[in-house]
Amino acid sequence: MSENGAGSAIHFEAVTKRFGDAVAVDDLNLEIQRGEFFSLLGPSGCGKTTTLRMVGGFEQPSEGRIFLEGEPVETVPPYERNVNTVFQSYALFEHLSIEDNVAFGLKRRKVGKDEIRRRVAEALELVELHERGDARPRELSGGQKQRVALARALVNRPSVLLLDEPLGALDLKLRKQMQVELKGIQREVGITFLYVTHDQEEALAMSDRIAVMDAGVIKQCGTPEEIYEHPVGPFVAGFIGVSNLLPGVCENGSIRLADGSLCDAQVPADCAAGADVQLSVRPEKIAIDDEIEPGMVTVDGTVVERVYVGTSTQIIVELAPGMRLMALEQNWVRARSDDRWEIGNRVKLGWRPEHALVLR
Amino acid sequence: MSTEVAPSPGAPTGTARPARTKPPKDFDRPRFLKAFVGLFFLVLFVPIVLVILFSFNSSRSLQNFEGFSLRWYQEFFESESLRDSLIASVEIALITMVVATVLGTLLAYGLVRSRTRWSNAANVMMLVPLVTPEIVAGASALLLFTQIGLELSITTIILAHITFSISYVTVVVRARLASLGREVESAAMDLGATRWQTFRLVTLPALWPAVLAAGLLVFALSFDDFVLSFFTTGESPQPLPVRIWTQIRFGVRPTINAIGTFMLVISVLSIGLALLLPRLFGRKESGLKVLLGREAA
Repeated sequence: MSENGAGSAIHFEAVTKRFGDAVAVDDLNLEIQRGEFFSLLGPSGCGKTTTLRMVGGFEQPSEGRIFLEGEPVETVPPYERNVNTVFQSYALFEHLSIEDNVAFGLKRRKVGKDEIRRRVAEALELVELHERGDARPRELSGGQKQRVALARALVNRPSVLLLDEPLGALDLKLRKQMQVELKGIQREVGITFLYVTHDQEEALAMSDRIAVMDAGVIKQCGTPEEIYEHPVGPFVAGFIGVSNLLPGVCENGSIRLADGSLCDAQVPADCAAGADVQLSVRPEKIAIDDEIEPGMVTVDGTVVERVYVGTSTQIIVELAPGMRLMALEQNWVRARSDDRWEIGNRVKLGWRPEHALVLR
Repeated sequence: MSTEVAPSPGAPTGTARPARTKPPKDFDRPRFLKAFVGLFFLVLFVPIVLVILFSFNSSRSLQNFEGFSLRWYQEFFESESLRDSLIASVEIALITMVVATVLGTLLAYGLVRSRTRWSNAANVMMLVPLVTPEIVAGASALLLFTQIGLELSITTIILAHITFSISYVTVVVRARLASLGREVESAAMDLGATRWQTFRLVTLPALWPAVLAAGLLVFALSFDDFVLSFFTTGESPQPLPVRIWTQIRFGVRPTINAIGTFMLVISVLSIGLALLLPRLFGRKESGLKVLLGREAA
């Protein structure tokens, strides 16, 4: 990688964005590779959409520079940037047919008529809407509108496609289906996708890399697996999946939990004895009673809640007042209703020491 | 009350209760309300219907209808001064419509898109012409024109009409613009359209039904305006409503009925067009919604 990121699709160099006194994005340094499906993940107000809008040219950084394919873009207006955006509200042009919506960008670039026709047909084929070219946006369903918005952006072959929570307005089933399709389309066209979402499952399912943002700062950047398995702090652990945080104190190679029990864990070398930490164990890594294997760390507790969620049942166990763990039980294990843990049962929970993360 | 008795166990229940023939739908809509609404429309329309009817009367009488004839329409169109007044009125209404629509649309665009601390104040100030008593607006316009030494003529009427019409256009167009949302314009610029192309290719086509409806509304308002015109008119030609008023002072002729009917037709036509045109342009919303600013989400 060169100094100004010539090999990358987008390069943020110490980018800060302020709105009045509020800092939306704080000293952002980030490099996104060509052809990458990159997600900005975070709660609302974390600065992810502002970051996206700065790439699109709708906001200017207060400080720092943004490079698109190695070129600085601060002086380039939105309509001259080689990026296109898929908006959350679709933002289709209601007075134009689907074909004319998709052709809009090409016409602005004075592409020849025959080529426009060919590329529009290709783009509509890609999103499987080639039979609805004459329809008006209002005649389409939400999912179809989303595809038109996607085709309208992709047809221009931008160097980067910006997607601002594009699936936010769809219902759950359609959202899951579109996740798979989006990933497939991205692989097919090979364009860099910069995807903004607050839905951690969506980010995990589609991204090559994810940056988790909070309060304008990137907390962690890595592959979905890295972020899920090795979150660097309580915020990332809590934002990605259920984190099961237990407060404790470092004590020569293990963790003394708040209820007094000692817990084997991979304590980082630089964690001084007596330092306050949090122990995080993912629910699916927790074994209950007879599933516990030799070598596991075990704790005792009382079942306080059980939530049936279809494929699995969430079992919430209280170790001590204020210390709760959630375990997942696959529903094929104990399908019969007379053989379950009930609220009030005493149970033993166990996990492998390497599955417990020590977070500071 | 035999039908109220509960059927004995095991007995077929079908015969115990008579089939309900009419759903009890009237309990929340009392009949007197319907009568009231009917009376309202009667009071509203009877005088108008009488004017239309007597405009075709063959005699001078304003009380007895004696036979069908078009003589009052003939008199109306053959009178040179009345014809001049009609032409003046149409001219005033057309120019007012074009200028007020353009200015009002630009004002709406500015009010919706600018987000300064003055925009709220401007949004309220803009409504002032709608609630100012016309007699005040007329008197102040007259005062202004004489102060700056502008001779009263069709021009002064047009200026006064434009001033009060802009607000109507802005109210109608602003509602439409607010419902359009900013992302659509962002999308156009994102796709390579400059600011001007965005306005021409995306914003204006979306606003078109509202702009059209507002324009026709302004035409109707200007065409039959009396008070403002009365204060700002010159000697000749006077707009039709002022001309009628002048004529009535020298005695009521049945020609009035013909002129009234004619003006009614023009006003109804322009309002009707305002309601219909958005539909003819292939939009599924009615012009009524556009005019009232109630957009389908």
